[in-house]
Amino acid sequence: MKTVRQTDLALVKRTRNRKELYRAFSRSIRVLFIALTIFFILAPILLLIKISVSAPQDILTQHPPFLIKNFTWSHWRKVLAAGHIWVPLWKSIVVATFVALFGIIVAAPGAYVISRLPRKIKYGVLLAIFSTRMFPEVGIALPISVIFVRWGLVDTNLGLILAHLIKVLPLMAWILTGTFDSIPKDLEQSALVDGCDKVQALAKVVLPLSLTGMAAASILCWLESWNEFTYAVYLCLAESTLPIKTYYYVRRGNWFESAAYAVFLTIPVMVVTFLLQKYMRNDYLSGAIKY
Amino acid sequence: MSTLRNLFKHHKLEMVMVLPLLLFILGFTLYPVLQCIFYSFQDPVSGAFPTLENYRVIVGNRKFGDALKNTILVTFIGLTLEMGTGMLVALLLTTKSRFRGFFRAITMIPMGVPTIVSGVIMLYIFSSNGYLNEFLYRLGLIKLPIDWAQGGLRTLLMIAVADMWKVTPLVIILLLSGLESIPADVYEASAIDGASPAQNFFRITLPLIKPFFTIALILRAIDAFRIFELPMVLAGRNTMFLGTYAYSEYFDYNNIHASGAASTILLIVIALFVFGYILTVGSREVDQ
Amino acid sequence: MKRTLRFLFGLALLSLVFSLVTAAAPKSIKVIMGLAEEEWKVMRELVFPAFEKEHNVKIEAYQAEAQDTEKILEARVRANRMDIDLIAQDNMRLATLVEKDLVEELSAYRSLIPATVYPSLVEVGEFDGKLYFMPYRPNVEIAFYNSAKFAQYGLELPTNWDQLFEVAKFFYEKEGVGRVAIKADLSSCTAAHLFDFCRSAGGDPVVLNDKGCFEAFMFLQKLWPYLSPDSKTANWNFMNQHIATESVYLGQNWPFGMNVIVKDGGKKEVLAYQGWRGPVKESHVLGGEVIGIPKGAPNKMLAIELAKYLISKEVQEILTTHNGWPAVRSDAYGKVAAWQQPYFDAINEALANAEARPNLVYYGAVEKAMNEAFRECVIEGEPVKPTLEKWAKYIEDNKR
Repeated sequence: MKTVRQTDLALVKRTRNRKELYRAFSRSIRVLFIALTIFFILAPILLLIKISVSAPQDILTQHPPFLIKNFTWSHWRKVLAAGHIWVPLWKSIVVATFVALFGIIVAAPGAYVISRLPRKIKYGVLLAIFSTRMFPEVGIALPISVIFVRWGLVDTNLGLILAHLIKVLPLMAWILTGTFDSIPKDLEQSALVDGCDKVQALAKVVLPLSLTGMAAASILCWLESWNEFTYAVYLCLAESTLPIKTYYYVRRGNWFESAAYAVFLTIPVMVVTFLLQKYMRNDYLSGAIKY
Repeated sequence: MSTLRNLFKHHKLEMVMVLPLLLFILGFTLYPVLQCIFYSFQDPVSGAFPTLENYRVIVGNRKFGDALKNTILVTFIGLTLEMGTGMLVALLLTTKSRFRGFFRAITMIPMGVPTIVSGVIMLYIFSSNGYLNEFLYRLGLIKLPIDWAQGGLRTLLMIAVADMWKVTPLVIILLLSGLESIPADVYEASAIDGASPAQNFFRITLPLIKPFFTIALILRAIDAFRIFELPMVLAGRNTMFLGTYAYSEYFDYNNIHASGAASTILLIVIALFVFGYILTVGSREVDQ
Repeated sequence: MKRTLRFLFGLALLSLVFSLVTAAAPKSIKVIMGLAEEEWKVMRELVFPAFEKEHNVKIEAYQAEAQDTEKILEARVRANRMDIDLIAQDNMRLATLVEKDLVEELSAYRSLIPATVYPSLVEVGEFDGKLYFMPYRPNVEIAFYNSAKFAQYGLELPTNWDQLFEVAKFFYEKEGVGRVAIKADLSSCTAAHLFDFCRSAGGDPVVLNDKGCFEAFMFLQKLWPYLSPDSKTANWNFMNQHIATESVYLGQNWPFGMNVIVKDGGKKEVLAYQGWRGPVKESHVLGGEVIGIPKGAPNKMLAIELAKYLISKEVQEILTTHNGWPAVRSDAYGKVAAWQQPYFDAINEALANAEARPNLVYYGAVEKAMNEAFRECVIEGEPVKPTLEKWAKYIEDNKR
């Protein structure tokens, strides 16, 4: 047995100290960066909140103060009293949720098949699907809406859901194809060898592995539908969605009401992202790989 | 025809899985897109087809060259900023912390704000006596307000930053779902080898999340090329983009033919970018 | 077989009768307007009920801005499923509706327009001698100014181009940044401004290469460096914001700005006057709203009745009294609210010199030529004459 020399011990100690120092340093950098990011993300929202509860003289001046000086609920009271909030809110939530749901149901199986295609065909199909998203909406929104108007789907949730799906499906297909690409084929194959049929292999192996991707895709699609505007203009008249109501105040120049609306718009977003992000964990992964 | 029948016979399940998606998207959009492209080759006055007249007029307009240049530049600036920050934040979000869920939910908020509203917020910040100028003024850095909408690189940067606020969350979500799908044992193995965090990042993380990086980049690129609402609010129609051009020909000047031509050119620009990216950078990942 | 046939025939007959019955007694009439919240309240509480009672219908009125109205109508006309009976549309955006064939021709109902309606307002709704729109509400841009700032520097309000230039230059030199703004976001708002400038120099923007237009563009070119940088984002909406946040001290906008800036924003120091005259005359674009009946409207006759009702003396007086809108006819007198009176006076003075824009189906090309010429000459400083010649040729080429 060798004896440990004194100098070696010191060296070990010093490197440990240095490592700890490095860790503390990187930790504080990280905290600082997180704080900065949160600030940049929240600053515009805080600005909106500030505007929505400020008396006009705080905002309408050459050198506006950064803090709330004259607090008032009057803009919020006006917005709530106008009675345009709850029905549009419900409509927006229903539409966005069904868009995300139908989107996953239609896009996930399709994306799986596309991802297992030979490479050249795969990218051909993907780009064909995606080309509709590469085209500016100005020219195609009208003819597409005409179809739904012809079907009598004006002012129905179904019409809006179908229209939003057109926008959202290419996005979903693209994301989910990528997700399925990253799942090794051997996993399925071994499941097939173990006596599962195709559907079982999909349900037991591929599905759990792709849940993080699906969660991400559905959050994106929910949000995309939540603040969609172009098709809503064509397809909503009596019952509009929340963005259209917000836009009304924006275009009418009601600074305070539009700020209140915009703040109101972000609340369900926080709830939904908070709920959905829970599924974006890799817990599912370990289980599947053990299979 | 027989090959098609064979395809159906042997891959019944796959067909059932993929057809609804294809039929839904292409069924609704193929005709409108083709129609738009058709308009772009149609003479606005006589209705003759095909003609390159619309393209000749558009390309002859000096402003169109600017629009093309601005579009490409703002996409390039925007993508660099968004992918860079998106990656950093996504990495931060994977580290274990009590506040992770909360932090994640916060990063998603901007996506729920409609573009037109984000435009208005950004106008509060970037207008000539907006909050950014006010901030700089209070710091004593400027005496007179900076005109962010003046044109040139400054305006492009403003638009890229304003856009970035709203869209970086998308990048974050996608990169995060990539990072989350990397099994922890890969890192454990490299920790035993004594790799530094930087080495970890470049040797393990980056190659493994490359598919997700590609997904995010291309999604963002497609939307960035089509940008039009935000610049219209923040800089007027003076700083032109291809999307603004198509919009303004369609709605302001009621010229579906010129609008269609601008849209088609935009489609070609985007398709070139996407193909170029997939063929060069994306190829290795595709092979595996 | 026979029974089935008879049954089907009966069913068809029944549905036919039913459709006749429902067509004969409409229960509701759908209307689209673009109004502010307070204006909606006036419509719903003071204007609609009397009509609803008299004709035993329900007026279903919906909000849509001018541009969206176009979209809504176009989608329905193309789908052959029109469910809207009447629109009140901004008269700045009529050419598209006519060109795309989205509204019914109303020449047969010309006699319903009362004799006391100002003739220039009727012209606004005519294309090629045919009447497509009924006059309903005249409007004109007024010049909003920050009286506190003008008083602080002891400045007079500019009433001609030279004074306008001096004031713009004065603010620029005093504050280091321009404080006078025009709506130069290069949308239809800019084109409306250009009509004012060109015409008041004796030019015709539809021609574009005449002496008056040269003079107007040269003046704007000279003025541009002294204007507020916010001009570039100023349109009918953001102009209010720039004035209210004191980034701009003087700028023209539509009168609804008084509700936004003064009533909601509490900027009592922002006042208004009729604006400035050019070297030849004073001229303002006649704006406002007109009534149209969408192509294939299900209740056309009732919609005509509603149009008649909306331009009646009593409704026009309600609209003046409660909304501060100038009346469409000379025999309607409303009493506006006291705070609105100064703005209302400015509107009336500007209206005295208001001129309608020509109604051309190729108006899109004219607007594009004006805006592009503005961009090139005024913003980028290109020489005026060749540029205007170039764009005048563009208008010639696109005449249909």
